[in-house]
Amino acid sequence: ELTLLGVTQFYAYVQEKQKVHCLNTLFRKLQINQSIIFCNSTQRVELLAKKITELGYSCYYIHSKMAQHHRNRVFHDFRQGHCRNLVCSDLLTRGIDIQAVNVVINFDFPRNAETYLHRIGRSGRFGHLGIAINLITYEDRFNLRRIEKELKTKIEPIPKEVDPKLYVAEFQISEE
Amino acid sequence: TQLKDPPAEVVEKVAFLCNNLSQTNLAKKTEEMNMIIQENGEDFTRWLARYLVTKRVTLEQNFQPLYNNFLIALNDPVLDKCIKEETYRNIKVLLRSDKRHAASNFGDRQLLKNLGHWLGTITIARDRPIITNELDLKSLLLEAFYKGQQELLYVVPFVAKVLLSCTKSSVFAPKCSWIGGILNVLAEIHNEPDLKLNLKFEIEVLCKDLKADLQSLETRNILKDTERLLRVPQQLGDLALL
Repeated sequence: ELTLLGVTQFYAYVQEKQKVHCLNTLFRKLQINQSIIFCNSTQRVELLAKKITELGYSCYYIHSKMAQHHRNRVFHDFRQGHCRNLVCSDLLTRGIDIQAVNVVINFDFPRNAETYLHRIGRSGRFGHLGIAINLITYEDRFNLRRIEKELKTKIEPIPKEVDPKLYVAEFQISEE
Repeated sequence: TQLKDPPAEVVEKVAFLCNNLSQTNLAKKTEEMNMIIQENGEDFTRWLARYLVTKRVTLEQNFQPLYNNFLIALNDPVLDKCIKEETYRNIKVLLRSDKRHAASNFGDRQLLKNLGHWLGTITIARDRPIITNELDLKSLLLEAFYKGQQELLYVVPFVAKVLLSCTKSSVFAPKCSWIGGILNVLAEIHNEPDLKLNLKFEIEVLCKDLKADLQSLETRNILKDTERLLRVPQQLGDLALL
């Protein structure tokens, strides 16, 4: 059973060619423990992973055309924290159950609600905090509203500053 | 102690670097960070220490070994000194905070545990002592015992996390007098009949990890020495009076 409870969802309007720039901005503004970044095709997964590795990201990638044992290996290493970010296509069927992942990014917006739920939803672990950020192009605009309606959830425009309380575990260190 | 934030561009650079730090790119990111430190002077180093301790080390417990390796690789004495001061500062803030809702305030207790683990990592695990002037662990336990259940809920897990680093030290073992003295107090607390079960477990697990036999630890009835309990230096917040 997947739930969106505890996940605050945002969207940002972008053009296709601005997506990497937008990703950079997010990675300079957010406090990320580990993140998962979703693309809509295996080819785009590989392209994006290659591109952002060049830009200094710590990332692995997995997609559906890789052998299962290879995928398992990568996912296992990601879970162990060997790298900070994972670029992938739609193959996680049980929801993300890695506690350290506090940011999920839909680099490409999914076409239907079920896929969206599988990407963003959490299995069990009620109260586990996280944010999801959707990069939305002009073509995605109707899909966004449709999926929001079908899942009876709220996807808000991303604010200038995202409140750390929404996604950084136990964020309450007091200042003297 | 207010610190001035560096320019937004530098803050973002640091955030990006930390968001992407990993064991495999450690050398490259170390080089990058050294450049940023050189370009921005000592005020920045102080800010960086606070950022790393409050925003990263305390909250991303899973990456503490990574941040530790990062600091060792950076090999910057000024930064190391600031990191230590920041660690103690944050621990003291949490120790002095209001404990009346300890049972429900999971957040603060978790943060204190994370900081305890970190303190052990940068002191005991590196074969460096925790100076009594900076933090007196034994007195802290006595004070918590004197002040009550709520305080123990904070202090026992915290001390246990600090001592866990003895497994990585070649100098500080259960048999050394400093660590032994603290373990003896823990053993005595463990013997208290009305101690919460989870705290009993906490002490048992620590002893198991340190390969110290809880049963054979000396207890010296230090907890019954009311005179002494009254005289311990105060590191926790005052008891809330009715």
